[in-house]
Amino acid sequence: MEKAVHLSTKNGPKVPGEPTKTGTSMVDTAASAVQSFAPINQIHQHLCAFHFYAYDMTRQVEAHHFCGHINEDMRQCLIYDGPDANARLIGLEYIVTEKLFMTLPDDEKKLWHTHEWEVKGGFLFMPGVPEAIQRQDLEKVAKTYGKVYHFWQVDLGHQLPIGLPNIMMAVTRDGQLYPEMIKETEKQFGVSMDKERESRAYMKGPDHGIHPLANGGGKGLTLEVREVDIKPVESVPRVFV
Amino acid sequence: MASSDERPGAYPARNGAENQPPGDPETMKTVMIDKGAAMMQSLKPIKQMSLHLCSFACYGHDPSRQIEVNFYVHRLNQDFLQCAVYDSNSSKTHLIGVEYIVSERLFEALSPEEQKLWHSHDYEIQTGLLVTPRVPELVAKTELQNIAKTYGKFWCTWQTDRGDKLPLGAPSLMVSPQDVNMGKIKPGLLKKRDDEYGISTESLKASRVDIMGPERKNPMADYWVHHGKGLAVDIVETEMKKLAPFP
Repeated sequence: MEKAVHLSTKNGPKVPGEPTKTGTSMVDTAASAVQSFAPINQIHQHLCAFHFYAYDMTRQVEAHHFCGHINEDMRQCLIYDGPDANARLIGLEYIVTEKLFMTLPDDEKKLWHTHEWEVKGGFLFMPGVPEAIQRQDLEKVAKTYGKVYHFWQVDLGHQLPIGLPNIMMAVTRDGQLYPEMIKETEKQFGVSMDKERESRAYMKGPDHGIHPLANGGGKGLTLEVREVDIKPVESVPRVFV
Repeated sequence: MASSDERPGAYPARNGAENQPPGDPETMKTVMIDKGAAMMQSLKPIKQMSLHLCSFACYGHDPSRQIEVNFYVHRLNQDFLQCAVYDSNSSKTHLIGVEYIVSERLFEALSPEEQKLWHSHDYEIQTGLLVTPRVPELVAKTELQNIAKTYGKFWCTWQTDRGDKLPLGAPSLMVSPQDVNMGKIKPGLLKKRDDEYGISTESLKASRVDIMGPERKNPMADYWVHHGKGLAVDIVETEMKKLAPFP
């Protein structure tokens, strides 16, 4: 087996840059006292899970999701590479119920992945929350589909978010995730995925089963950039100064 | 398979009120479970977001499509900021993407291929398009001066402006308003934002005359302005390198 490349993130390179100057941080302190952060205040849940690249399962990343409900059927999550204040914002995820997933066009379904085994297998958990409480929400998550983009390849040691976004996928069966990565996470958060698995054995996945087009439809997925012609920038009539 | 500059196939929207994603309202049970859990979790990374900026962005493959954007900013150090981007500042809002902001110094160290994906910020600050809601200009000045010299990279993952009720397709690379006809923000869009925040862009412009952009604006940034070419993103199928069968 190749050397695991998941050991990115907790001890990864620091983001380059000078320490924040006092004059600058004073603005941020003042701002945070008077501004409204309504969208951020909707975020009320921290989930830890693992993602791998949709074209390369050997590259795996511990992904900390900070999620808010848009409504009962949909959540939107910011993804960080750790649980601490200095964590890097590396991506985002949208989570929808089966009901909403089924309304997507077929080509779109391929970009989404299932959560059934992430939850039932015990790989996804809510740090700090007793299992008995976690279960009440995770039994819903087990039936959902997610769409994840990562923008920062921290597992390659990138100091800055360079390159194109990547679609990510999640574990769908045993044998996909690196055991040593799982052990490290268990140790750091004081969890036992085996125990979680036992307590979640009753849970069910999507009512109609895992859709065959989800999870890339069995194919790998990657992104490419393409130049397109745009109108000459001055050709648009000048209507205002 | 999916491209940022294509319209996805039609799909039935369910329960979708204007501009709201389809779906039922949160049940009380969900709300209670979430509140209970939230009390036990520290949510440290998101508490680091300490600044709200409101501005405008354009689609990199078609800069005539323009949107209002709300950034919630975490400054990691003097040279780097990471931002969650929403299409409004209310609680009923859509997470539409992520923007990273780097100083001129960090930007100059990037490869030219990478620099093409980034945009400058000076024009939108100098013209009062970018604002710091509720924070007086005098207080915000230092940050505005900092950010005017930076470059940003913004991926938009939910095209709510074209009516998508769910996040469809490939991410779009976004670009910033620029001092060319196509890069100027439509008056209707600007007025709507200014009315909502009680702002006068004209007076902001006057108070920002001394705000300067980068020492030397890099011609690889704002690629579309100098080259007449936008950048679109495609998702393509390929073979997945595997350790075990998938899915």
